[in-house]
Amino acid sequence: MSAATTDTANPRKPYVRPISKTSWFLTSARYKSYMVHEVSSIFVALYMIQLVAGLFYLAAGPEEWESYLAFLRSPVVILLTLVGLVFFVIHTTSWFKAVPQATRIMRGEEVLPGKILVTAHYGIWAAVSLFVIILAWVA
Amino acid sequence: MTATRTIQLEVLRYRPEQDAKPFFQTYAVPVEDEWVVLDALNYVKDELDRTLSYRWSCHMFVCGSCGMMINGEPKLACKAFMQDYPSGKIRVEPLSNFPIERDLVIVQDDFVEKLTAVKPYLLPKQDKTVEQGEYLQTPAELKKYKQYSLCINCLCCYAACPQYGLEPSFIGPAALTLAHRYNTDSRDAGPEARGDLVAAHEGVWACSFVGACSQVCPKDVDPAGAIQQAKLYSALNFVTGMVKGDK
Repeated sequence: MSAATTDTANPRKPYVRPISKTSWFLTSARYKSYMVHEVSSIFVALYMIQLVAGLFYLAAGPEEWESYLAFLRSPVVILLTLVGLVFFVIHTTSWFKAVPQATRIMRGEEVLPGKILVTAHYGIWAAVSLFVIILAWVA
Repeated sequence: MTATRTIQLEVLRYRPEQDAKPFFQTYAVPVEDEWVVLDALNYVKDELDRTLSYRWSCHMFVCGSCGMMINGEPKLACKAFMQDYPSGKIRVEPLSNFPIERDLVIVQDDFVEKLTAVKPYLLPKQDKTVEQGEYLQTPAELKKYKQYSLCINCLCCYAACPQYGLEPSFIGPAALTLAHRYNTDSRDAGPEARGDLVAAHEGVWACSFVGACSQVCPKDVDPAGAIQQAKLYSALNFVTGMVKGDK
């Protein structure tokens, strides 16, 4: 064997390609769509805050509740709510889509097909929505 | 019918003994639609430029040696068919997120260390002697993890994972999936025997579920799914540990 014995004789010189910490997500369409999805959760958070704030106003009394409703009726808030709703639906459906990946249920000797899990989620979503709509209708 | 056409094969070259940094070299390669990118590389090696270096072995999606970036996507060169690249221009680079050893050959040391660290082999609850026989398992118990055992260590998932690129301490998709494969094996003693590595910061919790690993996996292993399941296990384990007052 005439293996190299000193470091200077080592011809290895691995090249490390630089990765930008601030713009890596611009390097592929897949990363861009991931980042848009992540950033849009800000609107989902705002929508959640709006809903939770409503509860506090409701608890505070009828006058406060009316002021909250008036706030909701302003055009800017309606627009923001619509944007929030759209992203809420997008995030909900993307999570439903991921359910079979994160959950593996055995039924007998077979893995429960992901389609059943996803359909069940949509079913529960529809049932709860229907219940809320009926409740709002009656009230 | 086979139609011969000529493609422009752009290959990222890097020869450590003479290049300061990698550069693209273009080869005109006559190809047929039934060819894969690996065939085109073999043509270059045999007919045009014998200095080109790349890894390959089986030519049938089994060995996992020929993972590389093909038009920016991590793929097996033996599974990337010419008919899917009608433009006549194909750009081939070594897998992203890994140092380049030479041309299309990457340095795999980091992955091999991580793979070793997760102990990707059976750690039985109780060792048996040969006389005591095999560790038996039902078909249902096999199905629970079989998908995650199909990994061929091609490293396409690591090249697709932005988290691994940004945070190289992340154990990464394939190694975590193999840990999960053994942890969910009925013959195995489970995560406790495998150590806290999976639940550690650089384990499953470093994954932000971009999901790119599963999208590029040539064997449909779904590493992202395995990691999310391992997260669930790790979280449940943490909560039951608190309830029991372990820590």
